[in-house]
Amino acid sequence: MIRALVYLQVITWWNRLLSQVRRLKRPKYLAGFMVGALYFFLYFIRPISMGGRAGARAHALPPEFVGAGEAFGAALLLLIVAAAWIIPNSRAALSFSEAEAIFLFAAPVRRSTLIHFKLIRSQAGILFTTLLMAFLSNRFGSSGNAWIHLAGWWLILSTLNLHFLGASFARARLFELGIGNSRRRWLGAGVILVVGVVAWWWFEKSMPTLTRPEAGELKGWIRYARRFLEAEPMAIVLAPFRWVIRPYLASSVATFLLALGPAVLLLAVHFIWVFRSDVAFEEASLELAQRRAERLAVLRREPGQMRTGRARPAPFVLRPTGLPAVAFLWKNLISAGALFTGRMWIVLALSFGIPTLLIGLNAERDEIAVLLAMVLIMAFIWSILLGPQLLRQDFRHDIRSTELLKLYPLPGWQVVLGELLAPTAILSAIQWTIITLLIILFSRMPGGFDVAWPERLSVGLAAIFLCPAVNFISLLIPNAGVLLFPAWLQSGPGSPHGIEATGQRLIFLLGQVFVFALALLPAVAFGLGTYFFLNLLLPWLVVVPLAGLSGAVVLGIEVCVGVVLLGRLFERLDASAELRG
Amino acid sequence: MIEVEGLTKLYDRFVAVEGLSFAVRPGEVVGLVGPNGAGKTSTLRCLAGIIPATRGSIRICGHDIAADPVEAKRCLAFFADEPRLFDYLTVDQHLAFTARVYQVANYRELAAPLLAELEMTDKARSLPGELSRGMKQKLAIACGLLHSPRVIFFDEPLTGLDPIGIRRMKDTIRRRAAEGAAILISSHLLHLLEEICSHVLIVQNGRKVVDGTLDEVVRQFAGQAGELNLEEVFFRATAQPAPPPPPPP
Repeated sequence: MIRALVYLQVITWWNRLLSQVRRLKRPKYLAGFMVGALYFFLYFIRPISMGGRAGARAHALPPEFVGAGEAFGAALLLLIVAAAWIIPNSRAALSFSEAEAIFLFAAPVRRSTLIHFKLIRSQAGILFTTLLMAFLSNRFGSSGNAWIHLAGWWLILSTLNLHFLGASFARARLFELGIGNSRRRWLGAGVILVVGVVAWWWFEKSMPTLTRPEAGELKGWIRYARRFLEAEPMAIVLAPFRWVIRPYLASSVATFLLALGPAVLLLAVHFIWVFRSDVAFEEASLELAQRRAERLAVLRREPGQMRTGRARPAPFVLRPTGLPAVAFLWKNLISAGALFTGRMWIVLALSFGIPTLLIGLNAERDEIAVLLAMVLIMAFIWSILLGPQLLRQDFRHDIRSTELLKLYPLPGWQVVLGELLAPTAILSAIQWTIITLLIILFSRMPGGFDVAWPERLSVGLAAIFLCPAVNFISLLIPNAGVLLFPAWLQSGPGSPHGIEATGQRLIFLLGQVFVFALALLPAVAFGLGTYFFLNLLLPWLVVVPLAGLSGAVVLGIEVCVGVVLLGRLFERLDASAELRG
Repeated sequence: MIEVEGLTKLYDRFVAVEGLSFAVRPGEVVGLVGPNGAGKTSTLRCLAGIIPATRGSIRICGHDIAADPVEAKRCLAFFADEPRLFDYLTVDQHLAFTARVYQVANYRELAAPLLAELEMTDKARSLPGELSRGMKQKLAIACGLLHSPRVIFFDEPLTGLDPIGIRRMKDTIRRRAAEGAAILISSHLLHLLEEICSHVLIVQNGRKVVDGTLDEVVRQFAGQAGELNLEEVFFRATAQPAPPPPPPP
């Protein structure tokens, strides 16, 4: 029977590979594949072929950090394993697709065979992760001994995989014995707490404590933590975890072979534990498969929606008449959920606004104000660069509903305008909040000279004018991409995977950066022109907001042109042809 | 109300619909019938303006769907086999959104009896994820009928409905037709079409095989065989061998 299951898996992989190869006949996938392959070659293969050791040396961690690797790695493993016992609340379930669950659970297949199959199948993921981690660690680690790294990663990941499975079976067994989730969690957390407190008390009694000079620097804290982890009783607690991690950290073949014995023994014990567990997982597995299938269906219809959850309040009352584009703003703000509720903004105002105001108005807290201002400036820059990628309540979210959108009696520009309004509004609201806080806080430059209130207001006002237009432009670009190449930018399950998909995304990212820079050029030129011209007539404090406003007007014109053009594109979009493959 | 002349739809080189011409007048219910892959759904999607026709002209309420899509779409409704809904909008929010898109000023007066007719009054605050498939279908119908369309396209309208839902759907179709709507229904349920359709249009491989009133079509294929039902007509028209009758119990 196991042969039939292995056949099922192998043929699934093979067919997937064939369909990916067949896709390369289409130029967009071929172009994507070539760029993706070049990226993988330059990022992973070339550093190795050019001498991974040279690359590794360039990124080598300080010896102190490497020496502490085993202790800290073992502690991390302990935390991961503890989490596997404490956090989950679901029943024991093996992960199958809905079709597999229905076929296999109804077939005359033993439970142990299904576990066997699951373990064999999980090896594919483990081997891939092993390869990836070995590539990365060879690049960033201190040694280029790839085979040791590969075997080390495989042992760690396989042991963890078996432990997670065994822990889920054990949790199910505890549940059958009447120990529910909350009792198990309290018990688990209690054990961890008691062990931690006893170990720390023991350590404090027997070992030198943290000295004052040590407490003043990061390295001192690391040394202290390492002493704690390497001394008894933590050394005993962490011993099995060290066995698992030791082969990976071996510096030579001899030390690797020496470390291999205990690690393999532990792996074998885990295997026997899992294999001999006789827990009914079928019902939970079927439930899991169905939940996953439902989530997949939701994601295929609405990429970005992880779950429907509960009904979300409308951000405002939508009147039945007026500009139809506003209906899309309203709809997409609802889809944004917690990002745009009045309650969230009140909470933010109370938790950040009032303290900021107190700090900003209190001259004695000058240092904190400057530090906070620097953090806010970073947040502002990130919101400009990453905001349009993260907020996707537009065509990127609705592309699967094109059939519905195309049914509406609206000109294309109205649909495009409506789709872009929500992320622009959210992003602009976030940025205006940051600018307001900066006007309050940015009283002094890091260099030392003061920035007066009128100067802050002047620059802040210019930024307030520019933000919505910049956001609109930066959101127009990915949305144009979605309408031009819908199949390129599908997200969620069912979206293209593999090297060609990575290449396609890279091509698109570079294109976005280029178009964004091109779109900003006229606005920058016009804004600077306005600034230099008006500066001859008006004071600087008045000129800056006016220059910002003129730049925003130019961007606004670009936005109008873009919306009209995208509207025409939407009207001509034949989604059935684009999304067929 | 619906005038189609030489409709052709190609996907790359694949011909989904070829030279299809027909008309549906107010009050008529036309059943669109054909084997799988005959081009029924492509036809309906072209008529609803979801996908562009490659060739030919489509006029809805006198408006060319290619030249004046906004006006044409204003008077039509399309119900897909799988209800298309937004997963994060409640039933009420769907209706509010649809009303704004179609500019239905008195939607609150219309929505209440519509929800009552579809037995969804108590589901007003539910999300699609909390509704059964039949309920989702009803919500899609409520949204589609909110602007009182004069042209209605149904693609397999009974999929997922329970017997009560099927009865109500048939009543809704008959009533809308009696009120003067032109209705085109694509379905494989031939007995349903016999019950509610005044006309039938049979297509195969994207081409029209036959159209006319039910009586006309039956007469055309009856020949010497006496009385025929739509199922027999379908097999004769598409030259498919009829399956053998089930063995006696």
